[in-house]
Amino acid sequence: MLRATSGPRDRLLSAPGTPGADCIVLDGVTKRFDAMAWPALDEVSLSIPQGQFFTVIGPSGAGKSTLLRVLAGISRPDSGRVSVFGEPPEQASRAKHLGWVPQSPALLPWRSVIDNVRLPLQVNRGAKCEARDPEELLARLNLSHARDMLPAHLSGGMRQRVAIARAFAFRPRLLLMDEPFGALDEMTREHVAHLLLELWQAEKPTVIFVTHSVGEAVLLSDTVAVIGRGRLSPSVGIDLGRPRPEGIEDSQGFHQLTASLRAQLRRAFSDAGG
Amino acid sequence: MRTAELLRPSRWLPTAVAAAVVLGAWQLVATSTTAVLPTLGSIWSAFTGNAGTLFANAGDTLEEALPGLAGSYVVAVLLAVVMSQSRMLTRALLPLAIALNVSPVIAFAPPLTVFLGLGQMPRVVLAAIITFFPSLINAIVGLASADRGAVEVFETLHASRWETLWRLRLPASLPYLFAAARISAPLSIVGATVAEMVLGGVNVGLGRQIQTWSSYAELNLAWAGIAVLAFFGLLITGIVVALESWVLKARGFR
Repeated sequence: MLRATSGPRDRLLSAPGTPGADCIVLDGVTKRFDAMAWPALDEVSLSIPQGQFFTVIGPSGAGKSTLLRVLAGISRPDSGRVSVFGEPPEQASRAKHLGWVPQSPALLPWRSVIDNVRLPLQVNRGAKCEARDPEELLARLNLSHARDMLPAHLSGGMRQRVAIARAFAFRPRLLLMDEPFGALDEMTREHVAHLLLELWQAEKPTVIFVTHSVGEAVLLSDTVAVIGRGRLSPSVGIDLGRPRPEGIEDSQGFHQLTASLRAQLRRAFSDAGG
Repeated sequence: MRTAELLRPSRWLPTAVAAAVVLGAWQLVATSTTAVLPTLGSIWSAFTGNAGTLFANAGDTLEEALPGLAGSYVVAVLLAVVMSQSRMLTRALLPLAIALNVSPVIAFAPPLTVFLGLGQMPRVVLAAIITFFPSLINAIVGLASADRGAVEVFETLHASRWETLWRLRLPASLPYLFAAARISAPLSIVGATVAEMVLGGVNVGLGRQIQTWSSYAELNLAWAGIAVLAFFGLLITGIVVALESWVLKARGFR
């Protein structure tokens, strides 16, 4: 069930609109930090077709967050080339193509739920973007009842849903998500993941999702790549079909996929000597 | 904080006991050697007999302290905003602010009178100088305190510096701006009082009177004056704290 991503079927599945167009490209990207024994990113090359849900999985300190930060233009690589829709990341962010969901929900505590979701529409107004109706987004994420509440009065799962709504509010072409469900309990995690899937299914922005949860990676992704000590292993496709209903986590196919992804993770680490 | 909670003995009893112990010890010392401390009763009668004078002079001191506080607070926050936008300016100005902070500020007082005269103005300026640094440092820390993830959200949206300042850094600094006010407010009374004592000048203000009373061995009055100043220090601190807890709650920080 796990297979290399180069197959034509995979392209067909994951790239509506422009089949086969690699919109996110990393070419030999290296990034070092003085405090780390090995590079956070070590000659990473990667290409992701438009509209794909791409997950990078690995343990803490493997370089996952650095990869996202380089793609977002928050961090500059020491060497190598990064291209987002044919442009450098800084250009993509100027054009408001990037949605960012950090580890913490990072909501503004003084803004109500609806005003947090509206935030992206209120900054960098020069960039053209098709705004979504924030009210409709709240409804889709089951947050309408919390519209006027402050983040301090929300549960962790609700806050993370607001962060997702905020990221979708301006229809970004690329969504970068850094372990967004890391702080949530198992049940909430599944619930929010399915809400994210529904929202993604409707719009199909390209998503690069970072996690250390195998189950989450399988549930959400078209393609998963394992990262360890700054090195990216070859990507594997997740052949689960779409849409993926709630309860798919209990299916035989799902279990097989998680088992073989775990095996792959283990192999990647014994190879890396980690 | 709810009033009901404040009324619970576990809240107020420790404070009441500590106050009773201090006052009891005071009274003990005062009754055994009258030269050191006047008795509480004699301070009280000095207070009731001269309440008008005490409060009028306290008003004069506040007239110096509060404008000094307000002026330095505004300048400190504006300067912190400017510094948050330019590393160069921070490098240029922060060492000067630190130099000001480690200087014996009181020593500025006599030269200040040379061009500010013998009125209340040099006292206002001294209250401003003494409250400036705590306000500045808290504002600087506050403007840098915005959540890292939120800063990243603004960065990926390519928000302008102004947008990031106005929509993120400034509102995020609110708890620190209150901390600045909480520290500076009572300090401004200290500044004004000390300036009155060091500078002499126009014969108004409780600091000035306490000095005079002490030199005439009117210890009852001097201590009554100190108590009145302490009361106003508590009062403005209390006002700031109440405002702080109300505003921070309404703004979702608590």
